[in-house]
Amino acid sequence: MKNNTKKQFSGAFPSVFKKTLKRNMPGWTLLLPSIVLFIVIVWRPIIVGVLYSFFKLNGFHPVGFVGFDNFIKVITDSNFIKTLFNTFKYVIWSLIIGFPLPLLTAVMLNEMLAGKQYFKISTYLPGIIPGIAVCLIWKTLYGEGDGGLLNMLLAKLNMGSATWLADGNKVIPLIVVMMSWQGFGGTLIMYLASLQGINQELYEAARIDGAGFFKRFTHILLPHMSGIILLVLVRQIISVFQVTEQPLIMTDGGPNGASLTLGLTNWRYAFKFGQYEKSLALGVVAFLILIGLSIIYHILDKKIND
Amino acid sequence: MKFNEKTDGLINFSDLKKTRFKLLYWTMFAILIFISLICIIPILWVVISAIKPMDEMYRVPPTIIPESLDFNVLKNAWQKVQFGKYFLNSFILIAGAWVCDVFFNGICGYALSRLKPKGTNLIMTLLFWTMLISGISMVPLYETFVTLGGVGHFWPLWLQAGCNAFNVMLFRNFFNSIPMAYIEAARIDGLSEIKIFFKIIVPLSIPVIMVVTIFSVSHQWSNFMWPYLLLGEDKIPVAVKLFMIDSSENIMDNEKMAIMLFSILPPAIMYCFFSKRIMGGVSMTGIKG
Repeated sequence: MKNNTKKQFSGAFPSVFKKTLKRNMPGWTLLLPSIVLFIVIVWRPIIVGVLYSFFKLNGFHPVGFVGFDNFIKVITDSNFIKTLFNTFKYVIWSLIIGFPLPLLTAVMLNEMLAGKQYFKISTYLPGIIPGIAVCLIWKTLYGEGDGGLLNMLLAKLNMGSATWLADGNKVIPLIVVMMSWQGFGGTLIMYLASLQGINQELYEAARIDGAGFFKRFTHILLPHMSGIILLVLVRQIISVFQVTEQPLIMTDGGPNGASLTLGLTNWRYAFKFGQYEKSLALGVVAFLILIGLSIIYHILDKKIND
Repeated sequence: MKFNEKTDGLINFSDLKKTRFKLLYWTMFAILIFISLICIIPILWVVISAIKPMDEMYRVPPTIIPESLDFNVLKNAWQKVQFGKYFLNSFILIAGAWVCDVFFNGICGYALSRLKPKGTNLIMTLLFWTMLISGISMVPLYETFVTLGGVGHFWPLWLQAGCNAFNVMLFRNFFNSIPMAYIEAARIDGLSEIKIFFKIIVPLSIPVIMVVTIFSVSHQWSNFMWPYLLLGEDKIPVAVKLFMIDSSENIMDNEKMAIMLFSILPPAIMYCFFSKRIMGGVSMTGIKG
């Protein structure tokens, strides 16, 4: 009996194999170029990056296994805690400045009888400007001395000029204001699309039941929006956590490291100081934190899309 | 204002009969005006500063609204920086990246959505995770490009655009919505899979291709990090040139502003033509994640 099945199986195997091959060939052929690209450009670099972070490197060639040495070097670096703290400061400020504003604006905008299109277009305008140009524009707005627009406005109001990006306490919120300015319109439009999906009969029913403005807001609007709000929230946390370009252009991490982020430190290790081991180890540390955040995103996304 | 016609939303006509809701409405309107001004003023500031004559720029105190206009600043800045060259570079970058973006991600999304060969689920999971994690592999990827001889060439940037997990998902979600019956019918008629893709799927996919195109073009126009790392002075696109101009000494402030204006104009023009599609695309990606 046993023998028999074995014989059958081995006899059937090539034809099953051929069948699978035939059925899957077109799909695999179409997937092949993308898979090659993803392996070369995305997946392999991640794996190599994680592996090499445990090695001493000469250029980019591993010359000896060093265990967690690179990680210890990175974490015990005098600036690491400060940088990590800064990165979370960006995230927290972006939650304070950049998160509630688009939501509230979307709710207000949805109530407008006229001018919707104007508001939509004008608020999305910053979103189409290249990131670099946004940074440079805001750099001139925040310009020190008489040349900056904000200082000019202060002067018009007969107030003394202020220091902006050069002030270590202000620099992170100021950069976050700029980032929120750029991302504002995109988030707003997402919220608007979701708001338009609210069933108007719910409001009607609530009104008949005597629900006031705030009751309608908290019992109908917020529950309907909670999915998209959570998605935007987590996405924002993940993307702000990786911020690199903005501090690089605006302040190069200054003043005195006050706006340095994990992403920028990583970039500096790699392309300014040529310390590849440190860059890789820091990348892995950031990666682990991101994985944690991504798991949350994944769970939320599943919940919301189902 | 036709308050009595407002039948939808959080506040409707019956609320708006009361004074406090009217007040609330106009307060919200005022806040929105204020917000839209904040969005527009920095951009207007660039436009104004770019045509402000030199002496007003350096006067103490400088003028916010210029007393006279000097359009020569634009011309001088363009010639001084030889901006045409960088525009051409940007154009080459965008064109190649666009082709790769639409082609590779499109066929990948198609295979994952419609052909579903063995391993689809695995690839989907991998794609989902890579969508979220981008910054980690900078050094190894740079080394890969160095090894492959890509430094100083556009093709690494093009290929990078060709593996965008986010756009693969966008395509896949769209293809999922095409009725399977079309494809079955074509199969019965004896069309090959390749022909089905080009003759039936592509014409149906114009909307999603438009969205990906707009995203691709605007992303490449502002792409900075990788062009900065990979391309030499003769091939850098506009965004990188902007970064370099910022630290260059011999360019006047108003010329800097003029150059910023040049970098804003192309996306602004695109926006004028496609604002509906762009906004549709944004909300589409937002909801589908």
